[in-house]
This record gives sequence, C-alpha cells and structure tokens, in this order.
Amino acid sequence: MGLGGAGLQRKPMAAARALVAAGRKDLTLVSFLGSLDVELLLAAGAVKTLHSAGVALDGAGLAPRYRAGRQDQTFEFVEWSEGTLLCALQATARGVPSLPTWTGLDSDLPALNPNVREAADPFTAERVTQVRALALDVAILHVPAIDARGNVYVEGDFGMDGALARAAGRVYVCHEQTVSEEPRRAVLSRIWIDGTASTPGGAWPTGCHPHYGADLTAVSRWAAEGATAGVELLTETVR
Amino acid sequence: MTSHPGDLLTAALAREIAESGISVYAVTSPASAAAALAARELGASELAIATGFTSLDAEPVPNVTLGEAGLFTTGAVLVDDPFDTFSLLARGRVGVAVAPAQLDAAGRTNLSGAGPPGRPKVALPGARGLPDNNASPSRVWYVLPAHSPRQLVERVDVVCGAVPPAGAIRRLLTPAGCFELGPEGWRALWLTPDGAELVAAAPGIGISVTSTQPVVTEPDTDALAALRRVDPYDVRLIEFSAGADAAARFQEAAAREGVSPRA
Repeated sequence: MGLGGAGLQRKPMAAARALVAAGRKDLTLVSFLGSLDVELLLAAGAVKTLHSAGVALDGAGLAPRYRAGRQDQTFEFVEWSEGTLLCALQATARGVPSLPTWTGLDSDLPALNPNVREAADPFTAERVTQVRALALDVAILHVPAIDARGNVYVEGDFGMDGALARAAGRVYVCHEQTVSEEPRRAVLSRIWIDGTASTPGGAWPTGCHPHYGADLTAVSRWAAEGATAGVELLTETVR
Repeated sequence: MTSHPGDLLTAALAREIAESGISVYAVTSPASAAAALAARELGASELAIATGFTSLDAEPVPNVTLGEAGLFTTGAVLVDDPFDTFSLLARGRVGVAVAPAQLDAAGRTNLSGAGPPGRPKVALPGARGLPDNNASPSRVWYVLPAHSPRQLVERVDVVCGAVPPAGAIRRLLTPAGCFELGPEGWRALWLTPDGAELVAAAPGIGISVTSTQPVVTEPDTDALAALRRVDPYDVRLIEFSAGADAAARFQEAAAREGVSPRA
C-alpha cells in the first residue's frame, strides 16, 4: 500500500485512521517521505514492512515510533533514496522488471535494500545501479480538489503521488473539495483513479495547501510524547 | 561577531548560489528557500527555484507550516514531471544545500543512522536524497548549524551519499567558515573569528587550514539585506538555533502561519 503526500503535507490521515479502525495488520507500506501517516500505523501495530526514503516530522523533530521501531527492529525497514524509489515506481509503471539509474553507486543502499544492486550496463559495461520494480496493490492520496469526473488538482508540489498512482493496481483519492472541471490544470487524470472520497480536513494534522497548513501544535505534541504515549493520546492527537 | 550565526551562513549561501552559475536551485529548508530568493536579488535574477519534486520553477515562501521548504509553495508554480528533478541533477544543472547528520573526510554523507548499516543504535530520518545528490555532478552545499566533531567525522557510519564524482563542487558552510572538498580533502576558503579553533576541535574530517585564509566577521551586507526582505520574520534562523530558542522561534512561526481545519 502506498500513501501519498510528503513530509507534513497532504498525508491521507483520514484513510490511515480508517485502516487502524478496521484493524488492518501486517501491511507493507510505501511512504515516499513519511511523517504522521507512518507514525499512526506503526503505533497501531499495523505495519510489517516499511519502504521509505525517510520519515521525520520536519521542524518538529524526529518521528518517535519510526525511530524506536528501527532501533528495536520491530518492523522491517527497506531504505531507499528518493531517486531509487522513484525509479522503482517508474519500472512498474513502464511494465519492466527493473530500471538502471546513476544514483546510489558506492553507497550502502544495496546493503539496506535488496531491490537495489550494482550492475553493468549491457552496452557499455558502465557501472549503474539497477533498481527492481516496486508494485503497489493500492495507493491512497489526499489532495485539495477533484472535479466531478475525478481529475485531480493540486496547487504546488505533487511530489511522488503521480508515480505512486501509476505503480498501483488501484488508486483512491481523498479530497477537500470538488471544483469545476478544468482538465488542462489537472495533475492526475481520472483514468488512473478507481475511487474518490470527500474528506474535508482529512490530512490533519498534516497540511493540505491551500486549505490549511500543518498543525504544528499537534505535530510537536506527538514529537514529544508519541514514543511512550498510549492509544488515548494517539486518538486525541491524531483523530 | 554580533549578528546571528544563521545570518552569516544563510547570507554566505545566498552569495554562493548567486555566483555559482547554476540555473536551478532545489530548496530543502526555510533557510535555503530564503537564500535562493535572496540570490535572485544578488545577480541571479533568472534563477529557477525548485520546491519539491514537481514544482521546478516556483516562488517559495520561507515558512514552517507549508512543509520543510515551502514545498507546497504559495507563489507561482510551473509543474513538471518528478523525474525532471533527477534529470537536472544528472546533467549538473541544479544546486542544492543539505544538512547530513554526518559528513566525512572524503565527502560521504549519512542521514540514515548512527551505528552499523541496517542496525542503527540511533535511527535518523533515512537516506532521503543524499545518495542522489552526492552522486551527481551538480553543485552541493553542506550547511550545518554547528561545527561538531560528532557530525564532521573521518568516515560516516552509513554511506548514504558516496564520495562525490571527481570535479564536482562540494562546499561546507558551518559556524567555523566555508570549506571546499578537493582531491586532497577539505580546505578552508574563509574562516570566522572562532573558525580555526572550531576546526581544530573537529579533527576527524581533516580540514586543511593555513594562515592565509580570510576571516569573515559579519554577514555580507547586501546578502543580509536581501534575506531580510524575502524572510522578514527570520524563519531562516530556526534551523540555526537550538534548545528553547529554537522551540520558541518554531512555535512563533507556527502560530503566525497556522490555520488548522480543527481550529
């Protein structure tokens, strides 16, 4: 399962809360740059494996559940760089088993991630990083707006959400509002989308520009107390 | 030095960006957003500022609630494919400032964790873009709020960013000064008044200092004026502050910017 957004922006928190409420366990989660989405699902014991290039709470600090879980090995962490994770999603989108890239050579990524290997280019023998395709069963995004036909509109950065959508078997989009159709401005076509849900405020406590920024009071509280807090604080903070 | 250390470093970064000749600067933090905006006023008027992965020509606002770098900018945005970010890196056409948890004598970087790879004693955010940035011929600045022997080491615990390719320009900005990586290792380009002492206290990274380096005592005047125009609330200083001061600045910015759907 891929969750969209990046850092403290446009995280599909309403969907993550629904997953927790449904008692889902043993998820293999892909969060390109994670934050409270990962924290919530880790705190609920829902994650078996996490694929990510990084998880943090931006200026509020480190992500306590993620940090403790990696240190205590309570979930499997598959570490990517931003470039190699994009490459893995693009391989799936293009229908190939792997793709080469120039990033990550001579790093420890191959030791941290079995999907990343050094290889020789078949034409020049030049060293490249070969990245295995990463396919998602489902991707869930949270966006500011869709139109009546389901085309997606985002002001500002769309991050890796387009790549997640194209690498997923099914794509569901949570949205703040429905706007008039202007397909030339759409960042993702309805043809990639299987379902939509109206969830105003559904990215909270992360932000969803231009409707609201990240609620840093709530994020800071989680940063300070999340490592030891029980479900009560979790449900109070991450509603 | 009477000014805030963050102003000296951000002003230096703005000047570096302006004089680097890069066509695109990738924002990674509020201070780096302020530096890029100021660089436009320092001569790089056509500089494109990339915020995030698809907004490659944007008008970011130094802030804390819109993401780590104003990634979800409030200004004008031209949207591109996320792969473009990595194409620009591969072609050496972009500049980026990063803050690794560890930087070593050969220019390797680490943001994964302290301890052996895969078994961190202290887990950090993760590799993020360090493997991508460091492997590229593009310009990379390492900007650190402290000149600490814990961060500036002989060899990183986990190699996120590998040794940069030959000829790639890598510079380090810390409260000790500005340093450049070359075939013989790191050498000082200029120092702050405390620079030599700070460098000596962090010997692992092996910075070469001679008696001829200029000593910079205050921020570049024009750069600082530009920074204050583009970042009037001093959001840039949060990442160069620590403890209660950093917390107070962060909360002040959050309160000024924040609009919660639950408010």
